[in-house]
Amino acid sequence: MPVRIVAMVLALGMTGSRMPAGQVAQSPAARVMALAETGRLADAERMARDGGAALLVPLGEVLALQGKLAAADSVLAVVARGSGPEQRTAAAALAELAARRGDFPGARRLVDGLTASYERDGDRWPARDRVAAGRAYAVLASGDAEAARAALSAFDAAIAADGGLLEPRLRTGDLFLDHYNAPDAEASYQEVLARAPENARALLGMARVQQFQGNPHAFETVQRSLRVNPALVSALVLEGELFLDAEAHDSAAALGHRVLAVDSSALGGWALIGATAFLGGDSAGFRKASTGARRFHPRPAAFFAMIAEWTARHRRYAESVQLAREGVTVDPESSEALGVLGMNELRIGAMDSGRAHLDRAFARDPFHVWYKNTLDLLDEMAKFRTITAGRFQIVAPAGQADLLSMYLAPLLEEAYDTLVARYEYRPPTPVRIELYGRHADFSVRTAGLTGLGALGVSFGTVLAMDAPSARDAGDFNWGSTAWHELTHTFTLGLSGHKVPRWFSEGLSVVEERRARPGWGAGPSLAFLAAFKGDKLLAMNRLNEGFVRPSHPSEIQFSYYQASLVCQMIEEQWGRTALVAMLRAYGDGLDTPGVFQRVLGVSEVELGRRFVNWFRQRFAGPLQGVEAWDGRSAPKGEFVTLLHEAGGSLQAGRPEEARPKLERAAAMFPQYTGEGAPLVLLADIRARAGDRKGAADLLERYNAVDESSWEPNQREAELREQLQDWSGARKVLERMIWISPGEPTLHERLAVAAEHLGDHRTALRERRAVLAVGPADVSEARYQLARAMLAAGDPVGARREVLQVLENAPGFEKAQALLLELANRRPEGGP
Amino acid sequence: MTRLAAALLVAGGLAVQQGPATHVLIVSGLSGEPQYATAFHAVATQVFDAARSRWGVSDSSLIYLAEDPAGDPARIRGKATRDELASAFGRLTRRSQPGDLVVVLLLGHGSGQGAESRLSLPGPDPSAADFVEWMKPLAGRTTVLVNAASGSGDFVAAVGGPDRLVITATKSAFERNESVFAEIFAKGLTGEADADKDGRVSMLEAFQYARREVAKHYESKGLLQTEHALLSDSTLARTVALETSAAPSDPRVAGLIAERRSLEAQVDALRRKKATMDSVAYEHELERLLLLLAEKTAAIKAIQEGKP
Repeated sequence: MPVRIVAMVLALGMTGSRMPAGQVAQSPAARVMALAETGRLADAERMARDGGAALLVPLGEVLALQGKLAAADSVLAVVARGSGPEQRTAAAALAELAARRGDFPGARRLVDGLTASYERDGDRWPARDRVAAGRAYAVLASGDAEAARAALSAFDAAIAADGGLLEPRLRTGDLFLDHYNAPDAEASYQEVLARAPENARALLGMARVQQFQGNPHAFETVQRSLRVNPALVSALVLEGELFLDAEAHDSAAALGHRVLAVDSSALGGWALIGATAFLGGDSAGFRKASTGARRFHPRPAAFFAMIAEWTARHRRYAESVQLAREGVTVDPESSEALGVLGMNELRIGAMDSGRAHLDRAFARDPFHVWYKNTLDLLDEMAKFRTITAGRFQIVAPAGQADLLSMYLAPLLEEAYDTLVARYEYRPPTPVRIELYGRHADFSVRTAGLTGLGALGVSFGTVLAMDAPSARDAGDFNWGSTAWHELTHTFTLGLSGHKVPRWFSEGLSVVEERRARPGWGAGPSLAFLAAFKGDKLLAMNRLNEGFVRPSHPSEIQFSYYQASLVCQMIEEQWGRTALVAMLRAYGDGLDTPGVFQRVLGVSEVELGRRFVNWFRQRFAGPLQGVEAWDGRSAPKGEFVTLLHEAGGSLQAGRPEEARPKLERAAAMFPQYTGEGAPLVLLADIRARAGDRKGAADLLERYNAVDESSWEPNQREAELREQLQDWSGARKVLERMIWISPGEPTLHERLAVAAEHLGDHRTALRERRAVLAVGPADVSEARYQLARAMLAAGDPVGARREVLQVLENAPGFEKAQALLLELANRRPEGGP
Repeated sequence: MTRLAAALLVAGGLAVQQGPATHVLIVSGLSGEPQYATAFHAVATQVFDAARSRWGVSDSSLIYLAEDPAGDPARIRGKATRDELASAFGRLTRRSQPGDLVVVLLLGHGSGQGAESRLSLPGPDPSAADFVEWMKPLAGRTTVLVNAASGSGDFVAAVGGPDRLVITATKSAFERNESVFAEIFAKGLTGEADADKDGRVSMLEAFQYARREVAKHYESKGLLQTEHALLSDSTLARTVALETSAAPSDPRVAGLIAERRSLEAQVDALRRKKATMDSVAYEHELERLLLLLAEKTAAIKAIQEGKP
């Protein structure tokens, strides 16, 4: 998540910034600007100093870029006190400097003078002075909609006066982005890039937009920006932040030092160094960074807010809360610190306190979409129900809570016990799991914004995920998702939240696979082709696949690859090695250190072993696929067989297709993509009247695809037709974890269970029918009463049927049941 | 549903009690697309057949006007034009007596607002104001107008009145998207909505069923609900009911049914006293009445199955 770094979005206030890079600047001020914009700050300063009084403003701005704040102040003050053409620019730059130091009364004094004057006769001001007015308003724009609008209006006026100016467009983009309006910001930066394709600040703006939108290309874009201007502090901070996201702490720290080498007062640089120290357990380093930040800022709440945010992105939510709290302590008015505090309190389940802090943050920054979305969601959640079941609190929309908890509570209890045995660790309880009926709500809960691609998230002992109703049947398996997220509770807890993303995700997928046949990610054709084409990430870059995928499939590849690495480690070193690795991460070791301590091998060696292990394990499927070239769809014998079989089927020649499909199925039995041979073979068998053969093929397919709705549906129908009630029960039980909201699914499972004399399942399913909200409630309750009676609970059955008849006295079937119960009852019995 | 004495209920087909008669007018308007024509006709057919076979509506009191009369000449009486509609109301006025039940079901697409809300028909579209005029001569009858067309919401305010129940598919004239209300309402009215299993579906039951199932339809598809049904008078809606099965011809059965209804009314009276009664006494009395009811049903079944 991007932390707002308003103070550091630098004030490169060269009002002459209008020339595309590469063009020769003519005026001395423009030459200073050109040097500054390519990162040659020392040269720029020298040239400005040589230029005397005419270049005082560029000099002040270049000094400010280097963190020489007192010197910048003095130089700019000279111009601001005068009446020269750059007096207003100097005043605006001075106001920015005052705000940057935390001197808001001083900043306001300067701004008020400038804006009052602009409001009087600004329509006669030249473009340069209109930019100065916009900069002045922008100083006040945080949390002040009127000031933000006035700033935008002044920048627009500057563009109207001089259409070639880039500066007001860049500042407009920054202003939009600071107010979370990424589309308009992007439009402004694009306008600049259309005129100056290598403008470093516009490229930085685009990178920030991409980061805001979760676009993995942010990293490349910010690097482009830094190639143009290697001293652009905000770009360096952003690159460091992106390195932190990828858990590349050394690179992030190096960026922090580069920032401070340019501008020792930059809070972002101190924050990067502080964050890497904090995350690495170097408390002395963290204190040093904190002292550094305080030296340049009396209330460096942003320093703590940034580190708190980055710490949260490392899934260390409780520590994030502590850091944010420190930020609030140094500046109780800091919306950033209040916001990060509130968001992360919500993640650790401190709902009331989290809401209160978010309310305070939102009052100070009413533009913040994360705060607004989250507060709206909390209002919505007031309508949710919380069901406490054993060690879990299940929070779900009121209409779904009963149904979901009916299945989820026992599954989670089973998962908890299984994982305690696996990891020799017992997380604190209760564990809170929130299920959202709309994916957008889950996304807001997780990231403050809609559009998150994930299905679930674990904050530790607070889990959130899509409810099955949030997606179409067949999109995902909510049982395996819950199991996956609960596994994170264990791996995060055991490692003190220091487990890297790849290992935590890998273990979660491994545990999914162990939980039920078919659960958890399996090999895809594309994955095999990528392996063969050497397109999978190396061990030391696995984390990047999660945070900065280089192509759309890389996230999925990374989940699966990470799970296989974990599986291989368990096979070769034993389960206890996984536990020892988590503990080693908890001790603060990095991945190479953990491998060395626990496994006794290097990252490179482990990577080599993995390649050999994978080649052996998937020898068959690998034969059927060609190496992926990184662009086109996978090819190879398997694909050819599917293609040819598809053609034969389309031509109405199933007998011709059959041997090809059989060969393909034998080659790659785990294949679940389009035209899966097992499904097509089942279809051929069913058409030939072989229902048992078709059902068995579908069973094989369903055993490797955790969310296959249609193939399960078909298998269930076939089993029911065959009166294979045991088989039908198995399939229908699987389908509950794909889409439990269909009343008929539960009715069918109840019937199958009744045929098998499995009264417990029948009873549960009759209750489920009621929980789904059937159209005919009386009928559903009557069936429940019958199931109670069959399960040996005539008292419960009587109670239920009386309630049915109380509401529907004319219900004949219920009347008959009441008579039956009365006839069974001994004289004088209850 | 709160139970009412049988005499208050307007129910067709009771062989032994010559009660009020039921008259039904079904109007299927302009479809626009073949899929709508099919859907409207399916709904109309379902209601038409229930009216004829279960509600005891005589052929002369059952009128179905449609866009294309040739599509189903066995059922469709004429083209659904404004003039034909006016004539149909005239016929129903002449056929019916005070105390009778007149049910009008409109299917199709709506337009306009307020009193100018209209149902799209071949030729001029009738407005809500036209319906008010046509229904005036039906004073004294209980009239139910179900406007299941899209954008029908303003009919409630424009047409509703004493002894006149109006149900619309939408809450306003602005909900003009494709509506699923008609299909669900018809399914409920013809049996599915019988929540209290008394063999009759009251208009309130049908309305509540439709409202619930329409909401579920949108929720299950993850769509924003674009139609919200309205009802003008829930008290009246509770008292107007239609049978879900054909009336018995055997007078012994009819007698037992009457006794059973009397017992149902006693259950209803008991239930209303529940809050003031001792719970054990309540449950005891409830079970006693329910067992008596069950015995009546068993006796009816025995007769129907030819057992002594």
